[in-house]
Amino acid sequence: MLRASPDGEAMSGSRILGLLLLAPAFVFVVLFFLAPVVLTAVFALTNMSTATGITGGAYQVTQSAMRELGERHGEQALADALARVRYTVDPAGIDAATAEGASTALVSELDRKLAGESFDSRRELERAIKALDNRPRGTRALKSLSALFERSIVNTRFATEEEFFGAVAGLGIELNATQRAALLATTYTGWTWTSENFSRMFSLPDTKRTFLNTIIYVFATLIVFNTGFALVLSIVTHYMPDRPAGIFRAIWLLPRISPPVLYVLLWKWLAWDTGFLSRILVPLGFESRNWMLDNPTNAWVFIVLINGFVGASMGMLIFSAAIKSIPVSLFYASEVDGANRWQQVRYVILPQLRWPILFITCYQSLSLLTSFEYILLATEGGPGGATKVWALAAYLTALNNYAGNLEYGYGAALALVLVVVGVILSLAYLRLFDFKSLVAPPPIEQ
Amino acid sequence: MTSNYRSWPMILALGVVTIPLVLMYVYLFVDTVTNTAPGSVVPHEFTGEHWRFLWETLPGRPSIYVATLNTFVFATATTLIVLAISSTAGYAISRLNVPFRAFFLAGVMVLHAFPTVTLIIAIFLILQFIGLYNTLIGVILVKAALELPFGIWIMKGFYDTVPWEIEMAGIQDGASRLTVWRKLVLPQVMPAVMALGIFSFLAGWSEFILPLVLAPDNKVQVLSVYLAALIADDNNFDMALFKSVGVFYVVPVIIMFLFFQGKLMSIYGGGTKG
Amino acid sequence: MRILLEKFTKSFGSLTVIDEMDLEIDDGEMVALLGPSGCGKSTTLFAICGIHRVSGGRILFGDRDVSSVPSQQRNVGVVFQSYALYPHLTVAQNIGFPLMIRKESNADIARKVDEIAELVHIGNLLERRPAQLSGGQQQRVALARALVRKPDVLLLDEPLANLDAKLRLEMRSEIRRIQRETGITAVLVTHDQVEAMSMCDRIAIMNEGRIVQIAEPMEMYDNPASDFVAGFLGNPPIAFVDGVVTNGRFATASGAMTVSLPFNAGERERKIRLGIRPEFFRPGGTQPVAGKITFVEAQGRETLYDVALEDGQILRSIQTATNAATVGEKVNWGIDVERILMFDEDGARL
Repeated sequence: MLRASPDGEAMSGSRILGLLLLAPAFVFVVLFFLAPVVLTAVFALTNMSTATGITGGAYQVTQSAMRELGERHGEQALADALARVRYTVDPAGIDAATAEGASTALVSELDRKLAGESFDSRRELERAIKALDNRPRGTRALKSLSALFERSIVNTRFATEEEFFGAVAGLGIELNATQRAALLATTYTGWTWTSENFSRMFSLPDTKRTFLNTIIYVFATLIVFNTGFALVLSIVTHYMPDRPAGIFRAIWLLPRISPPVLYVLLWKWLAWDTGFLSRILVPLGFESRNWMLDNPTNAWVFIVLINGFVGASMGMLIFSAAIKSIPVSLFYASEVDGANRWQQVRYVILPQLRWPILFITCYQSLSLLTSFEYILLATEGGPGGATKVWALAAYLTALNNYAGNLEYGYGAALALVLVVVGVILSLAYLRLFDFKSLVAPPPIEQ
Repeated sequence: MTSNYRSWPMILALGVVTIPLVLMYVYLFVDTVTNTAPGSVVPHEFTGEHWRFLWETLPGRPSIYVATLNTFVFATATTLIVLAISSTAGYAISRLNVPFRAFFLAGVMVLHAFPTVTLIIAIFLILQFIGLYNTLIGVILVKAALELPFGIWIMKGFYDTVPWEIEMAGIQDGASRLTVWRKLVLPQVMPAVMALGIFSFLAGWSEFILPLVLAPDNKVQVLSVYLAALIADDNNFDMALFKSVGVFYVVPVIIMFLFFQGKLMSIYGGGTKG
Repeated sequence: MRILLEKFTKSFGSLTVIDEMDLEIDDGEMVALLGPSGCGKSTTLFAICGIHRVSGGRILFGDRDVSSVPSQQRNVGVVFQSYALYPHLTVAQNIGFPLMIRKESNADIARKVDEIAELVHIGNLLERRPAQLSGGQQQRVALARALVRKPDVLLLDEPLANLDAKLRLEMRSEIRRIQRETGITAVLVTHDQVEAMSMCDRIAIMNEGRIVQIAEPMEMYDNPASDFVAGFLGNPPIAFVDGVVTNGRFATASGAMTVSLPFNAGERERKIRLGIRPEFFRPGGTQPVAGKITFVEAQGRETLYDVALEDGQILRSIQTATNAATVGEKVNWGIDVERILMFDEDGARL
């Protein structure tokens, strides 16, 4: 017989089952939501990019590193010394000479007389070689031989600090502690921690523009289509017989169910230089052009239309369902009372739609804020960044741009702003829609 | 609604507004089998040449059948994962006395209302770390994860509509909670599982950004990326070809939509992205 | 099987719904838990079947303490208000479900289902689905499912609430018949006093989480422990008149009604409340009271009258439908004082 305290064993049955049933979802949420949120925050504090890689880095004397060493750390002399090309007769060079087919006599003489010597310029080395007994004949042979001894650490990757400093010492350069630190900081090719992303975000004029674009995009689409036109659709189809109403609703669902790539292609076909609009408008005396990308205003009109046609359908469905739930007697009563259609809409339908409208507004504001798929496909933020919204900016910065250097760190910082705004907004909406009523305790207490 | 108002002005007005949409979709199909002279809007001849991608692989692209298979695998696998996990987690959140139940539910709601594509940068780097970048498995897991909050939320809503008394009766009849779920509750929500399945499949079939960023290679390319790459290639501009690939791509979607319109509307109306 | 509730306490969070309730139900007895909604009767039922856990006290089936035994192992059959039939299963599968859970053989299941289906008269419906059944038929299926595994206890949660009036009448006697034939201990939860009185051996009237009185139906009707019980039992309901009694003489404050009481209510003047059932206020009653008819409801065989005293208090009278009194008419009917119920200020029976 099972004996258990009121909060003990018997209750644990459904708890354990519940936890088991939740476990897979939990794993997915942790892996693909919590971890990415945390990592987005972490990446936002780094300067990760294609150039730095995402794993570790190496030490490399590059032109830009040397410029930085001079400008930032005041070590111009050191930078010049590191960047200088030297000619050193070392075993590696002598082996290479053998391999290139230099005569045994020349090789052994090189080894005997010049091994370990270092020259500041090619001319000095060549003068030394010319002084040898078995010197190569002809300028070309001389040049190709001297080239084998050219030594520089410029653009060589060193995996560890030790190797790097070893190579620097090999050049005969002595470093003090400050120089070491400066050198490490400037030549490290991997990512480092930094708060620069945020200061950069606040200082760039681009940011302000992207911010304003986002506001325009969200509000214009939301007001004109996702709630406005959705209301029109649901009310107008409400005043229709079932059949045409069903057809119209199905047609207006097409943009939502069509894959975005195809759906945007249809708009491009409409707007292309030789597209449908041009074909109709050119005979009327307009000039043929790409109507979508011709100027910022046009681009905005298209962006709002493209997103709005998709967004209107959700509101349409929800508002239609809400209108359907209004008792028919209310409509009859208002008609008996002599209300015209507009008055019926104003006094019977709209009051019933207050909550659905609020819901759609909240929900879709959040969706629009973080969506960029259609804009990416339609204008890629163009012309000239006129339609670049925040989410798209984050995407382009980090994952896809023409410059080729993907700035993961800066992109993550941009995305982090959206993550924070998104979480704050959704928590606010939860409060608004009475979260508590959704979690009434289960009546089966075991 | 009622006969006191005429409906034809409504039909007429909405008809006019709907024309651009209808035109776009009508020309989508017409242009794939006809040729139209430049400057004209009326086709002058039938042709099958725009469908050549079916029998010859386009230069620099994977075979359309490879892409189709990838898309199908991608959509199906995502759907199965979403269904399996949402139908269990949704039940736990709806019905079971799980510790931190409110916390889980709030989490799901926040995630559900929170389009997660902003996390794609981190996900891109995670997949690179764990070596699933440029694989179908990686992008399937990510897509399934991003669909999960919505799926759990929808399933929770449907479980909520199953009367508690059914469950109480099952327990009185001696069944464990697991048996009650499997034998008594799950059959009641089968229509919802179906609807969620169709929805997830279409969402997977249409997905663009995730495969574009996480699995762009020819070998694992899906139709959306295939079509986008075709369109983006400035050297081979051929609108009729794009549209034919597009029709090839969208026809399964439209067929499913026609068959399951009612089911899908219940889900689209239940709150989704966009 | 005897059911015993000892100091049974149930709270939800900080709210205590039932505080130290005692109740004993004998083997084979059918007891009604009767009370207004929110009185705790359903909570008690859910605690007996194990859906709710007790917060204090014990529940015993026979001598076995089941307080912490999960529902699945209590062997309790429950008929829910909505019947809770499994919509995707046929009637036979519904009834056989508890047996299937016990992994009984298909042959056994089929035999037992047939037997029980005969008992509740649904042998011809076994292949249908719940949606194809009428309310009464669903009710019978629910009963069959509850009884098929021979439970120790049968619990009925408002089983007739969803039926129309005629079916309700029929099922009342059917449930009682089946309970008698099986000899099972049964608890009926209801807010309908007619159901409770007609179906049960004893009634426990509950109010605000406690049992106010427990007794056999007629005993309770005749001797209610309080004005709450008196008001709850009887249809049409009892009428109450408030007033003062002095030396065996009762008078309302305005003097609109005075009667001499056959009981000794003590010498001192005190406030009391009289309960007068409609059948004991009629032409020819022992002590006349004057009033005006304010409402007449013809019920067919009988007619119900509301009679307002001068100060506005209402008496009710039910009479065989021969009297032709009409609204507004002044009447001088009599009260059978020996049948008057008397309560003190707090509602306790005197």
